[in-house]
Amino acid sequence: MSTEAERGIADNKPDFDFHGRALDNIFDEYEEILAKRPVGHSEKYGGFWYIAKSEDIFNAEQDPDTFAVGPSMILPSFGTDVPLIPIDIDPPAHSDFRKILLPMFTPMNIKKLEPGMKETARQLAEEVLSSGEVVDVSAKLARPMPTIIFSRLAGYPEEDWPIFDRWIDEIIYERTAKPETAYAAGRELNDYFDRLLDEREKAGPDAAKDDLIAQLMKAEVKGRKLTREELLSYCYLLFLAGLDTTAWAIRSALWYLAGNQKAQQQLRENPDMIPGAAEEFLRTLSPVQAMARTVKTDTVVQGQELKAGERVVLVFGAGNRDPEVYEEPNEIKIDRENNRHLAFGGGIHRCLGSNLGRAEMVIAMEEFLKAVPHFERANDAEPWHGVGPLTLKIGA
Amino acid sequence: MGEIYVDGARCQGHARCWALAPETFEIDEEGYGKVIPGRENSGDELNVRKAIRNCPERAILERSDDEAPAKNEEVATS
Repeated sequence: MSTEAERGIADNKPDFDFHGRALDNIFDEYEEILAKRPVGHSEKYGGFWYIAKSEDIFNAEQDPDTFAVGPSMILPSFGTDVPLIPIDIDPPAHSDFRKILLPMFTPMNIKKLEPGMKETARQLAEEVLSSGEVVDVSAKLARPMPTIIFSRLAGYPEEDWPIFDRWIDEIIYERTAKPETAYAAGRELNDYFDRLLDEREKAGPDAAKDDLIAQLMKAEVKGRKLTREELLSYCYLLFLAGLDTTAWAIRSALWYLAGNQKAQQQLRENPDMIPGAAEEFLRTLSPVQAMARTVKTDTVVQGQELKAGERVVLVFGAGNRDPEVYEEPNEIKIDRENNRHLAFGGGIHRCLGSNLGRAEMVIAMEEFLKAVPHFERANDAEPWHGVGPLTLKIGA
Repeated sequence: MGEIYVDGARCQGHARCWALAPETFEIDEEGYGKVIPGRENSGDELNVRKAIRNCPERAILERSDDEAPAKNEEVATS
């Protein structure tokens, strides 16, 4: 049996982290680990092996028997120890749960939502424009747009929306520094959905309601309805996945464009370039920089032994800047043509909402660029990542 | 390039093929891609090559000769 020293744990990257302030300079870190140590060990979050190269991440995602998602692909957890459906469920149970919502997220179904999305984005962009010369577009556009669009799709009553940002902030962004805050918010969120499901059950089936909650409540898995615990887990996951990631994606795109006037003007004049630019922002500034797995059977990646039971983190953000896959990987090229990125993951756990996320991102950019004739960063201390303030100077 | 097809075992419904080359690919009711019947020989078109290069699951494949539909053989043997 090999010792930890023989396996090279000692001289690894014990501080490698992919949350919070660690993201400030993480692209330099990626460049270094891709060149020197594409599989390495970190002591953060109970210890994990990171996998940085695109091909290795792809292979791990294609092999769920070796790289399982249980107990959770979220590290550290989203304020709950309950496995989230469907992302924390391994085969064979996984596909039955996932199938329930697949038809809701096809590009054709998302297309039906586009007129509403455009109207929402246009209104928010106009509010930005009328809010003065210096505006926080994270609070005014990047965050409210997915809240409105996803809440309508999912079936969250409008009067509840104002509390959502706090739950997201506490569960997702405070979980590393203040896990107890994340867990307390997690309990609130769980109770919220418990009440919402009670109300929906009491109201009975409503043919007019075609939202995600209705789909989940009427769905059957192996000839039975979902239990309340399963419904709560699914609702909990959808809430966090549907609101936060898209807000980050929109904010990071605007962050880039605010700092790059040439690209901003190019997209304003050529809106047909926006979908391609969105892919490039997803590649380089993605809200999902990494997701965890657990090794089920001993395996070897890049010569590094990984033992059953060990945690692994697939660093999509690093794979997306792998020089073996992308020319000038650290350059953001809004007209990049070869862009097989990992922002939505791959294999059986491919982001269920990828088509919705893309549509929201594209529409947010289209409407913002159309409404706002010029914008630049007003506070260079604001980072590229997260959903915190993005203060822009709005001008003519 | 020979006939192309979407490998159903690999496709996970990213729908990039449909976004980049809608004249060649369609999406089923669960979101999985397939080649529109009659468009199997469009593999050399610019949009289709883009779709192949951008498929995150590398699921758009070229039929090898022994995998090709048995049409020609049937004609030859009948």
